[in-house]
Formats: sequence, structure tokens, C-alpha cells
Amino acid sequence: MKISTRQSGNATVFDVTGDIDLQSSPELRKALLDAARQGPSPRLVVNLQGVKYVDSSGVAALVEGLKSAMGQGGKFVLYGLGPAVREMLKLTQLITVFQVAENEEDAVRRAG
Amino acid sequence: MKLSLTLEVQSDPRLLSVIRSAVERFAEVVGFSEEDCRAITAAVDEAVTNVIRHAYQNRHDQPIRIVFEGRDDGLEFVLTDRGLAPDPAKLRGRPLEEVRPGGLGTHIMARVMSRVEYETSAEGNRLRLFKALESKPAGGG
Repeated sequence: MKISTRQSGNATVFDVTGDIDLQSSPELRKALLDAARQGPSPRLVVNLQGVKYVDSSGVAALVEGLKSAMGQGGKFVLYGLGPAVREMLKLTQLITVFQVAENEEDAVRRAG
Repeated sequence: MKLSLTLEVQSDPRLLSVIRSAVERFAEVVGFSEEDCRAITAAVDEAVTNVIRHAYQNRHDQPIRIVFEGRDDGLEFVLTDRGLAPDPAKLRGRPLEEVRPGGLGTHIMARVMSRVEYETSAEGNRLRLFKALESKPAGGG
């Protein structure tokens, strides 16, 4: 898994590629929590277009990022969900907990 | 039809992607749909992850044996490890109404697979995961 970060509008965008599993999820968790804690009102967008697989520890990292950002009065938006990621969020019944955008423009607008 | 494959791996998280590839391809060969293959892969991945995290307490040099068996009625995986026995309370999973990380793996296995059975003996822990194959139309696949 690789993570790179950039600014788009008012949002910090995390471009994540590769598989998010027990091996890689601690890195994602740290990146999201570090950014969320830089608040106030962090605006975080996670681009999952390059992610082919996410396990429950990856979902947990996203949940922690969401809760931390919301706790700071910020926003947390996902986009680019492929079938495996979408199915995992449905399996864990967390798909409705996240704001899921159609594309980056929509995601940045929602985070704005 | 009976197909079988055995993987003997270390409890190293770097090998999870290798196991996932094998599981997904095997499920495909047995005849599951693309969506089922992804779900079965996730269930087995969660099972192996639980062994690494809980049975072996994140030690990465311990043995895990995974036997795959494809049959006319479905697909079975038998995972064997020599780590700590699972906590029966955690095997039931947790309610998902509370949005928090952790405890999702057991839920995923139960949702995806047709049958999940744990067994502990002097030889170690054994987990059987069975997914039934829906009957295919005649002449298909």
C-alpha cells in the first residue's frame, strides 16, 4: 500500500493505492489520525480508486479517521470505491456511516 | 469433482496477499461468482488475520496450515494453528449498531460463509469455513 497526500481546494486528499490489510492498515491509520488531529475542522478526503482490497483493520482505520475528524468539527469523505471496498463496507454495515462521493470534485465540495 | 490444495505458511502479515490470491483463484475454479470470490477471500483473510493477531499475539514466525477443498456442494477451508485458543465470547462477534473499530472479522466470516466451526484440541486450534455452491444451470461453467 502507498499513501500520498496533496491539497485540493480546502481539503487534504489522501491518494491510497494497493491493498489495505493487517500489514498496511497501521500506516493508513496513523496518516489519517495525524491529519485529523491537526484540526480544528480538518477536511479530509480519501481517494480509494487505487485500492483493490480492504480488510476489517483497514475499515477500522477509516472509522477512526472519520471519528477523529468529526470530533474536531471537520469532514471526512471517501471516493473512488471499487467493488471490493464497497462490498466490505456493506458487509460491515458501515457504508451509510461514511460520506461517499462520486468523484474528487464532489468529494472536495462535500468536505469544503 | 474434488479439488484440494494445502498451504503451509508462517504467521507473517506480508503473506496475507499471497493467501488472498490463492483463495480467490481457487474459489473461481470451483465455480463461484466474481462477487462471491471476493467475499470468500475476505472471510478467509479475516480468519488468518485473527490467527496472527489473537492466537499468535502478532508473532510472525508461527505455523499456519490452510487446507482448501473444492467439492460439488461448495468450498471448505480448514485453518490449523498452534496458538492460544480463541475466546468463546469473541467468536460470537459484536453488534454492529455501535460504530467503532475492531471486532468486525468474526462478523464478516459469519455473514459470508455458510458454516463456521471452531474446534480446539491438544494439537491446536482448527477453524472450518464452508461456503455452499448454488446449483448451476446444466451445461454452465
